[in-house]
Amino acid sequence: MNAALVSMVVPFFAAMLVLMWRPRQQSWLVIVASIVSLLAAVMALLSVIDSGPQSLNLGGWESPLAIRFQLMPVNALLIVTTAVIHLIVVCFAASSHHCQPIKQAFWPLALLLHGSLVALWLSMDLFNWYVTLELLGLAAVALVTLAGQKALRAALDYLLLSLFASLTYLLGVVMLYGQYGTLDIALLATLTEADRVTQTALLLISAGLMLKAALWPLHLWLPAAHSSAPTPVSALLSALVVKAPLFILWLLWSRVAPSELAVPMGFWLALLGGGALLIGGWSACRTPHLKTLVAYSTVAQLGYGLLALGLLLHWQLNDLQAALWLFVVAHAMAKTSMFLAAGEIQAATGKKRLNSLRGMTLTMPVALFAFAVAGGSLIGLPPSGGFIAKWLLIQPMLIEPAYWPWALLVIIATLLSAAYVFRVVSQGFRQSSVSATASEHGKSAQWLALLPAILVWLMALFSEPLLQLMDVFSA
Amino acid sequence: MMTDIQTILPVAIVLSSLIPGLLIFSLKESQHRLRITLNLAGVFSKLLLVGWMLHGVSQGQQFSFSITFLPGADLILQGDALSLQFVALSSVLWLATTIYAIGYLEGSAFRSRFFGYFSLCVSATVGLALAGNLVTFLVFYELLTLATFPLVVHRGTDAAIRAGKVYLAYTVSGGVLVLMGVALLHALAGTPDFIPGGYLSPVVDQHQAGLTLAFVLMVLGLGVKAALLPVHGWLPQAMVAPAPVSALLHAVAVVKAGAFGIIRLVYDVYGIETLSILQLTQGLMILAAATIIYGSIRALQQTEIKKRLAYSTVSQVSYITLGVAMLGPIAAIGALVHLVHQGLMKITLFFCAGNFAETLNIHHIREMNGLGQRMPLTMAAFTVGALGMIGVPPIAGFISKWYLGLGALETGQPWILWVFVGSGLLNAAYFLPLLYRGWFAKPAVEWAAHPQARRPASVWNETHWMLLWPTLFTALLAIVTGILAGSDFSPLAWAQLIVAREFAP
Amino acid sequence: MTLSLQLFLATGGILWLTGLYGLWRNSDPIRRIISLNIMGSGVFLVMVTLARRETSTDPVLHALVVTGLVVAVSATAFALRLAVASQQEKR
Repeated sequence: MNAALVSMVVPFFAAMLVLMWRPRQQSWLVIVASIVSLLAAVMALLSVIDSGPQSLNLGGWESPLAIRFQLMPVNALLIVTTAVIHLIVVCFAASSHHCQPIKQAFWPLALLLHGSLVALWLSMDLFNWYVTLELLGLAAVALVTLAGQKALRAALDYLLLSLFASLTYLLGVVMLYGQYGTLDIALLATLTEADRVTQTALLLISAGLMLKAALWPLHLWLPAAHSSAPTPVSALLSALVVKAPLFILWLLWSRVAPSELAVPMGFWLALLGGGALLIGGWSACRTPHLKTLVAYSTVAQLGYGLLALGLLLHWQLNDLQAALWLFVVAHAMAKTSMFLAAGEIQAATGKKRLNSLRGMTLTMPVALFAFAVAGGSLIGLPPSGGFIAKWLLIQPMLIEPAYWPWALLVIIATLLSAAYVFRVVSQGFRQSSVSATASEHGKSAQWLALLPAILVWLMALFSEPLLQLMDVFSA
Repeated sequence: MMTDIQTILPVAIVLSSLIPGLLIFSLKESQHRLRITLNLAGVFSKLLLVGWMLHGVSQGQQFSFSITFLPGADLILQGDALSLQFVALSSVLWLATTIYAIGYLEGSAFRSRFFGYFSLCVSATVGLALAGNLVTFLVFYELLTLATFPLVVHRGTDAAIRAGKVYLAYTVSGGVLVLMGVALLHALAGTPDFIPGGYLSPVVDQHQAGLTLAFVLMVLGLGVKAALLPVHGWLPQAMVAPAPVSALLHAVAVVKAGAFGIIRLVYDVYGIETLSILQLTQGLMILAAATIIYGSIRALQQTEIKKRLAYSTVSQVSYITLGVAMLGPIAAIGALVHLVHQGLMKITLFFCAGNFAETLNIHHIREMNGLGQRMPLTMAAFTVGALGMIGVPPIAGFISKWYLGLGALETGQPWILWVFVGSGLLNAAYFLPLLYRGWFAKPAVEWAAHPQARRPASVWNETHWMLLWPTLFTALLAIVTGILAGSDFSPLAWAQLIVAREFAP
Repeated sequence: MTLSLQLFLATGGILWLTGLYGLWRNSDPIRRIISLNIMGSGVFLVMVTLARRETSTDPVLHALVVTGLVVAVSATAFALRLAVASQQEKR
């Protein structure tokens, strides 16, 4: 537990330090903070594997008053993922030339985002989630504004929607508190009954969370906000921030909601997930802009998470938890890679459109390769993390002939994702009209973009320990 | 007991092309020598390792390597007689094609990219041949799709990109179907290792619908690569790729990967007993027979050499599927040996087509008039390949068709003989005119006046030696395997060994 | 629960819905920010009302309202600044 707290506190502390002290070598301070946070996160994960879930009541209050932190295998894994991605993104921002102008403001905000995320993963309390969601939202919006004037409108829309979602969430939370008198998840889980008030409260909370997670059909704000943000910010938002509400949604419906409510809700969530997969994928196949394509792919891929969550609830199958969280982790890695690569390419060509990718296999081979490799995991090609997750997801669908339509949905979604990934990759193989040569410019940034894509493929080799971790949890 | 060598060897065979491939990616365009060295080092070390394993398997040794992967499905690489048939074929042809490709691409752009992906393709092919269970097969099957795509679009022209998209649309869809089939079988029966006679018979009563659906999914998915009838459309399109790619990948590696998958599925996953209960092979047989005839008719309609060869591939690969679907031991021998023989002959034909195109810029059949005077050796190799395809003894193609025909009689399916006869006649109809034009027709222009080339100094210089020698080498192999079919080391003898092990009671 | 408490709860709900309506109908950023604040007030009203549902006042809810207010104020300030900046950009 202490290690997890360190992983949370270090980014906050470093953010303050960067803001107030303004040392000359800011990038090094940030990178060191990220490394420390990562090491602490790994230690937290190891301690969970060793000695099981641990919890901490903040300030020593007893329940039901206490705000409780809990470290479980799932959120330990998420904390590690968060730290890894932050480290990579921070290194990318430090080495990429086009991130130069935004650095001053980027460092403290990114650190703040990191700390808030870890706090959210650790919290087991409805109101503390509200606070961390707000922290996350404010930091995220501020990060989007760094792209300059043209992003302000998207940032404002993002902020207003995010605030609206928070208030919807808060109303639901208050209703639950009014009914049961506690905010603690574990306590609520023992108390809830399937009555009208609980149902309304849960639906309000879910609507708020789904809006924040850009789950279809509440996704309309995401492509604009994520594609207009600066590249490292896009990566953080798409990879991590949208996953936070999904985490709460999962705990809420699988723990707090009584099964009489969760089973029918699961069906609708799965259906919405299917809608996200189809419509997000279709939009990604249609858009003429590179970063928008990547953003729509996030909408689509979140559909997998929602599908896994919905079926988990609907069939009351705890096995699907592993699928859900491997999806989240694999998507986080792959999407980081994709956004960093796409951003680097866009910065080099100065154009947003897809056809500016002509001849990229020659001029920016590593970036294009990173995009393709990450895309492979999104499609679910073996042996990648995305494949493992998809494999776990389709196993229960196949065992009963009655469930086969869900498998058909996954097939179509897979084909759509292949279509939009290869739409980009095949452009890169097109002959360029201008004779370009490989530029040394931005080499290290390109390699950093490739790193998470390689990690997601390596996940496949470590699938056994990962799955064991999930099993420990569901047991 | 497994010794260390017996676990390492299967991995080493895959790595012997994978590692040079990855190293080649990092080379600069100008590092010509180093690239060739790496390529050849990979080729020869692979041949050496495969020879070693061939020897071991013929002695009855087991080769197996595994690491954990999915729950209940490890990644397993193992060498059995069947996998080695395919591994040996691809390794030998990789040697020929590598030399050919070095000559063919001399001085062109993107060579590091080309040879890098080329080695990846070979690794994926060898990996799927050595795969010890369905999940491992799936992994390499999908990798093969990915690694081939850059080679199809290699030229980067609009036509190439369009063909690449068609290629992907087919193969990725096929890959998804295979994935679903594998996952469905895993859900129903787990994923044990491939085993002669299959492993599904215990669950056949319980899951008839599931097993039937899985078979249909897998055959459709594998059928994409094997160019079975409704899903063959990518193959003629993919001919836009450079000649070595068409030769090795689209005549041998990719299409054979599909056919090999069907062999594994029928013999080592479902097993003959289960398939007879489910009555699934009749449909497969009809599909394969239809593809054989349809491919031949379409070949007849083509005016471009490479397109005609492509449709001929569509037709010829289905001989393998047909032989497998008959479920008899003799037909199985025919199918397995055709896997090798067709590869040798078809790669020869593609090399020749590449030589014509490279040397004299000849792409169409009508331009072939009198080619025998200008390029007698290539034309001779072409003749060997074409006659072999028709099934003229003693060239290799005759042997496989003989066994396939016998197999049809043995399994009591005489109508298949008519398919073979019809297809043989069609083969003759679309190959003989080419031979006639090449040897006997008068050239449209005197070769001396041809803009592309002067009269060569000697007969051995009709084209670049790196293009000529691989062509002659594979043509020679096609003849030798035919003449020496009865010897102990021929593909035929090996096929008989496989069948003896597969059909053992 | 007494009638007056129910009246307060209903008022809170109506405020929330009013804010929602305003957010939906308006496109001007300032109006939307105000709408959000009305929604927030509705939630806070529900919270302080619920704090009185038993004989002794529930301090937890008061604490939550205070926290919520802090969040709302800072978020509103940020939103206003953004709104002004995006207006300037338009001109």
